[in-house]
Amino acid sequence: MFKELDPILHSQLRLAVMSLLISVKEAEFTFIKEKTNSTAGNLSVQIQKLKDAGYIDVKKQFKDNYPQTLCSITKQGIKAFEEYVTNLQSYLGKGEK
Amino acid sequence: MSKENFSPEQSLQLIQSMINKAKDACHDTGIAAIMWGAVIAICSLVRLSELHFEYRLPFDIYLLTIVAVIPQIYFSVKEKKERKVKTYDDAFMDSLWLGFGICIFLMIFTTSVMYSQWNPVAGEYRKLTGTEFPFRLYEFNSSFFLMLYGLPTFVTGVSMKFKPMLWGGLLCWVSCLVTIYTPIKIDLILVALSSFFAWLVPGIIMEKEYRKAKRELTAANV
Repeated sequence: MFKELDPILHSQLRLAVMSLLISVKEAEFTFIKEKTNSTAGNLSVQIQKLKDAGYIDVKKQFKDNYPQTLCSITKQGIKAFEEYVTNLQSYLGKGEK
Repeated sequence: MSKENFSPEQSLQLIQSMINKAKDACHDTGIAAIMWGAVIAICSLVRLSELHFEYRLPFDIYLLTIVAVIPQIYFSVKEKKERKVKTYDDAFMDSLWLGFGICIFLMIFTTSVMYSQWNPVAGEYRKLTGTEFPFRLYEFNSSFFLMLYGLPTFVTGVSMKFKPMLWGGLLCWVSCLVTIYTPIKIDLILVALSSFFAWLVPGIIMEKEYRKAKRELTAANV
């Protein structure tokens, strides 16, 4: 019996954001936007969804008089990501048999 | 990038490509390593020439290390400002080298206190016997510093899988052992060589790689 994939993570942009953040301590919004090739509007919406789910922390501050948004993954986010990958692997393992 | 109906294979591919993109974004500049490698080598060689040619500069050449802290702060602030992403490695390296800086400061303070207590004893001995005291404390100075230089260099080399620094760290420790038994002039040559190979050369390699990565990134964004 397969576990259902986490709907919060099973979205391309949200998964891309989580995959970036899992390997770094924190990243600027502009960095995530550049690496995911997304638009600022869409990315803001998806980041807000991840934040509401408790998967990421969003810190807003000023850097050289410009607003700066820093994102980092939470412990809950790491756990959810690991579970998602485990479930993916079980799907793929079953598919290969 | 907004599709929600994508296959598990596509999910895994996406995860892998994003992790690789995060890895590719991380390149360290070698400026600080170049500067410190050059500063320590220059200080040691100038002190060597003072001893060999028997002259004294009007100031202590090692004051250059205090002056070098100013550009170091400037580079660190600049790098922090330009950094769009902070990896776990970055956080680890920052605290490792900051800890090293604190250790060096403590070592300088400790040795200067030691000298201030030791010199009157050695002076008294000279007055009473008319000969120099056979134990020269300053002969061990380089060994202590080389031992310290080796630690962050070796750890950086291992954790970044950067062989020039790994070998540089080992060279510092080998030099540390050798300087216990060699006279001060040889000690100074070994300190200069160690800082050259542990910091200056790896710094140049890192800076080259950083500039190459920056050029490639600029070309990709055009």
